[in-house]
Amino acid sequence: MNTLCWHCGEPLPVTVIDARVGGELHAVCCNGCRAAAEWIGQLGLADYYLLRTQPAKKPEPSQDADRNGYLAWQRDELARHVVRDLGEGRRETMLFVEGVRCTACVWLIERALQSLHGVASVQVNALARRARITWIDDRVSLAQILECLARTGYRAWPLHARALDDIRRQETRDALKRLVVAGFGAMQAMMFAAVLYLRGGEAPDVSAEALFRWLGFIVATPVVLYSAGPFFKAATRSLAARQLSMDVPVAAAIALIYAASFVEALRGGGHVYFDSVSMFVFFLLAGRYLEMRARHHAGDLVDALARLTPSFADRRREDHSLERVGTHELRAGDCVHVGEGGLIPADGLLLSPACRVDEALMSGEAAPVLRRSGDMLIAGSVLVDGPVDLQVQRVGADTVLAGIAGLVERAQVERPQLARAGEQATARFVVRVLSLTVLTAVAWSVIDPSRAFAAALAVLVVSCPCAFALAVPAAITRALTVLARCGVLVVKPDAIAALAQASHVVFDKTGTLTMPQLAGVQTFNGVSPERALRLAASLARESHHPLARAIAAACNEAALPAATQVRSEAGLGLCGVVEGRELKLGSSRFAAPDRELPGDDAAVVLADPAGAIAAFRVSEQLRPYMRDVIDALKAQGLQLRIISGDASDKVADVAAKLDIASWRARASPADKLSDLGTMRAQGARVLAVGDGVNDAPVLAGADVGVAIASGAEIARASSDIVLAGEHIGGLVTARRIARQTVAVIQQNQRWALLYNVVAMPLAALGFVPPWLAALGMSLSSLCVIGNALRIGAA
Amino acid sequence: MNAIIILIPLALVLLMLAVGAFFWAVDRGQFDDLQTPGLLPLDEAQKRADSENDEEPAP
Repeated sequence: MNTLCWHCGEPLPVTVIDARVGGELHAVCCNGCRAAAEWIGQLGLADYYLLRTQPAKKPEPSQDADRNGYLAWQRDELARHVVRDLGEGRRETMLFVEGVRCTACVWLIERALQSLHGVASVQVNALARRARITWIDDRVSLAQILECLARTGYRAWPLHARALDDIRRQETRDALKRLVVAGFGAMQAMMFAAVLYLRGGEAPDVSAEALFRWLGFIVATPVVLYSAGPFFKAATRSLAARQLSMDVPVAAAIALIYAASFVEALRGGGHVYFDSVSMFVFFLLAGRYLEMRARHHAGDLVDALARLTPSFADRRREDHSLERVGTHELRAGDCVHVGEGGLIPADGLLLSPACRVDEALMSGEAAPVLRRSGDMLIAGSVLVDGPVDLQVQRVGADTVLAGIAGLVERAQVERPQLARAGEQATARFVVRVLSLTVLTAVAWSVIDPSRAFAAALAVLVVSCPCAFALAVPAAITRALTVLARCGVLVVKPDAIAALAQASHVVFDKTGTLTMPQLAGVQTFNGVSPERALRLAASLARESHHPLARAIAAACNEAALPAATQVRSEAGLGLCGVVEGRELKLGSSRFAAPDRELPGDDAAVVLADPAGAIAAFRVSEQLRPYMRDVIDALKAQGLQLRIISGDASDKVADVAAKLDIASWRARASPADKLSDLGTMRAQGARVLAVGDGVNDAPVLAGADVGVAIASGAEIARASSDIVLAGEHIGGLVTARRIARQTVAVIQQNQRWALLYNVVAMPLAALGFVPPWLAALGMSLSSLCVIGNALRIGAA
Repeated sequence: MNAIIILIPLALVLLMLAVGAFFWAVDRGQFDDLQTPGLLPLDEAQKRADSENDEEPAP
């Protein structure tokens, strides 16, 4: 019997709900899944279930009709900044779609939207999770489009109309063109070079050789001038900034090989390497192309921010009536009304007497904090109880939230300078090759000056492509594949080297080291704790909130009754019907407002209309196996430190449990970044692990930022490595493989150097016939690849 | 040798045509989505069913 939900793939409760799709009944786990599955069936798109390779994202419980704010998009003046008018009533917009997991999602979204009358075209980019939609304005509205997506199980946010220009699409197209030009060029150059290599024993035909040399030059020129353009541009930029980035030796190698071969061709000399330089560029571009796709997959800062701020605000007019305006229309001094569970649209002073807000954004802690009249509320935080009025102080780019995004950007820009040391290995190799070249030139000018140039050139030309084009990419590609298999997605491949060299690890506490778990149940009116937990868990199962997940996880009983009519009130709790009883689960004010409950404020209360049934205390506990992970990291010789936004006693407690001596509490995102700077100044290479919005600047600024996939979008977008699932155990494996990779790269480089040092003089002296040289070259390449395949094997 | 004199420039011209055609295709968005087109053939049955009951109103 099937034990998993047909729609989202989560374990089924015993009292399953059936979804009727295409005349057949399928077991699903909750009403959200049933609604989505039946809607997909009604659209005639049930093939989605056959095409997909991953289960769908579990839909959020249905919310108030306008909680998502979809209806407000019908007002033209609001929609103006997200929609572009294409003329003749055609409109275009770019949506960020949450929950796109595999190709079948793309298929489903495109078909579902095209079933709407008036939608002209839909293009979904699964990697970027963006959808570009054109529609005819008088037939369908943006609100209907968003509504249709929500019913299918995807939440969508319209992005600013600027996103339509889509830099990333341009980047992808550009990279693809350069790659193909380099590929064609390399193939042709190789063909012409083969003629020169294989001329063998026949009497040399001078004019034919010259012809093939110049043909090589013709096909290699677009490769160097067009395809390798980005390397030259980046190298010039980095030299102008007085930095030595990876692009400098690469650009230097390309330019040298090309220029030297050109000079040789002019002189009529024997050795031109137009094929090597084209191949070199092609391999480098292929690596960059893969890297770019991984980067696009990890997300974009702009998209992440779009999810954090509300699109609308309710502004008070002079006569105290409310009008709904776009957040971008707010000005300092406006008075804004925010409903219970709403998102604060801009930074402002609280005018109402008191309220509680969830400022996880700044502190990483989900527990609500009390704010009194005159206190500052920050944009993007969730109002836990309300409603309140606030006076806007700062909007748009001046808000604290925008400041965090600014910190992320600044940290990313400053990073190359800080991470310069990480590129030393490459720089050392280039220096070695260059000195060997000079040595050869000097030696030959003593022995036979006429051959000095050719010999020096041969060393430079043949060692560079072999080492760079094969030794490093083969090892990196292998490492990326092995890591992906154990759930570690490397976004920036230079992160592998930095990961191997890391000396310190900085952890965020909440969500990274710990997660909320049920610590105790207190019941009222004589209900047994087991029964209360059963009721609460059937409701909590429907939600994604960390507290709800903790309660659902605590109940290991399989025979859970199904909850119906579940609604979630953002920031407050859930309500629904279980076993015919109308239940509420959430903060005490929400669930049982008329009753003062003993115990702490943060408890989660289960109540029915007659009153409170039970209170659940959820406390933070270490993630499973965390101690093992920490011990393993220590055994690898890493220094560990916790930097958290939480209170001192809580951080000290966790640090003691994990035996981590160094910690810091009450740190804001900027504090975390400055702490990182201090550690760096003392020579530490820092690996940062985090999951929240407040961790994003540190993740971006650290030598290696590691985000947890279940964490905030903005944290993933700022990191170098994303750990799949909720477990950071992958970090230990990742570091072991990274160290192995670096060792293999060094072995490969040494091998390439040794081979060339031995083979080159022999070849130059004429001891090696061409067929033997070709054989030796192939065997050398096989050695390098075979060595790379050892990564992850042990 | 004479054949080479004709064939090599011909190959280069064809190469340029191929690259030109590829650039044109990239600019027209042919390579933007490399995933969903793979599913299109599987969708044929659905399309035929759609065109048969065309009068059915869109949900």
